[in-house]
Amino acid sequence: MAERGRQYLILADEDLISLVEAADAEAFATLYDRHSRAAFSLAYRMMGERQASEDLTQDAFLKVWRGASSYRADRGSVRTWILSIVHNRGIDQIRSQASRRRTQERVEASAPRSQPSEAFAEAWRNSQRDQVREALNTLPSEQLKILELAYFSGYTHVEISDLLDLPLGTVKGRMRLGLKKIRDYFESRSAAVPR
Amino acid sequence: MSEMNNERFEDLKDAYVLGALPEEERLSFEDYLATHPERQAEIDELGAVAGLLAFSPQEQESSPELRSRIMEVVEAEAEPRRDTRRSVSASIGDYLSVRSLALGAAALLVIGLLSWNVLLQGQVSDLQGQVRNAQGQVEDLQAQVEDAQAQQSQTIKLEGSWAEQGATAEVASMEENEIVLVARNMPSVPDDRTCQIWVIKDDVPKPSGLFQPDGNGTATPITNSITNADVIAVTVEPAGGSEQPTSDPVLLAEL
Repeated sequence: MAERGRQYLILADEDLISLVEAADAEAFATLYDRHSRAAFSLAYRMMGERQASEDLTQDAFLKVWRGASSYRADRGSVRTWILSIVHNRGIDQIRSQASRRRTQERVEASAPRSQPSEAFAEAWRNSQRDQVREALNTLPSEQLKILELAYFSGYTHVEISDLLDLPLGTVKGRMRLGLKKIRDYFESRSAAVPR
Repeated sequence: MSEMNNERFEDLKDAYVLGALPEEERLSFEDYLATHPERQAEIDELGAVAGLLAFSPQEQESSPELRSRIMEVVEAEAEPRRDTRRSVSASIGDYLSVRSLALGAAALLVIGLLSWNVLLQGQVSDLQGQVRNAQGQVEDLQAQVEDAQAQQSQTIKLEGSWAEQGATAEVASMEENEIVLVARNMPSVPDDRTCQIWVIKDDVPKPSGLFQPDGNGTATPITNSITNADVIAVTVEPAGGSEQPTSDPVLLAEL
């Protein structure tokens, strides 16, 4: 069994997801071990406390388990797909909460197809993360704040406009410029946007 | 709310990929996108840029108990799911065992890391081939089941805004007089909402079943007779269902 587990480690995410579709629990466990840290980190950034973040991560991974057939390779990597599930479920949960307990401090406030080794893959993911953080650091704070309020805190553009007392057109404009600047960061380095 | 057109699409696309459109605007945006599929690639590309934000949070470690909880559910569900499919994982497992033995024997004959690498790459390639074969077998079986269903049942296809987005839904009359609504590729609905089936006769809608769309498709028994009914419809309702429809149908069939 341990030998079999090691064999899964050399499979690419796209192959693992095919096995998950065929109800292979061990393939799912391998995917979980690969991506749960990123998923939980995103959940924690959105929910702000551990229990809600674990609930969201559990909810998202069970959706991966039960809905593996809905993964489309042409729309992005498995990792991006899993994170998009965490994000979408997180937005749903934030918006469905009767009373929003989010505080003002929040306002202040392509992987290779096959895996040469788990250590290499981990280094690759870390490198992607560092690049993304560097790209975000190039954004003016007023653009970054609006992207974060929308993406992590689930505010709509109209709510952000009210919250920051800005015209709606300004909010949309900063969203557009912020996303363009991130894309420009990668293009200026002749690198594709990770998907 | 103003009508969706190219100018408005351009104005809202950034907020859309960030998940920052109010519900009504999001639906309107997605309706427009469904009728202009040539713009999907542009949205995918912009969505990939927005999705990068997901990589940026400071790393947090979840508890080991979370893994145990999730795996408990997964293990419990794996067995019944395997029973309903060809045992793909078992055949992979057998294959892996055979390959492991082969690798052990080969290790005695082959010296050096380069040879090991070659074997390993071959193994990955073989496994990928095995996965593709298994997928082909599953698809063949599904096609056989669908052929059999087509021979045994009469079906009525539902139309509507979700069908235009790629969802397929059919009301099937099975031999045992059971009427079911089979839905595939349905958009997901929030946890506090559900899909509700209505059988409408003489303009009176009767609640006739609830279901939660998922990626694998659903088959939901229709709890009221459709004999002499005028219309079958599906609406999105608050969780638990409604006495009367509170929104426009997303799927509809006139009988």
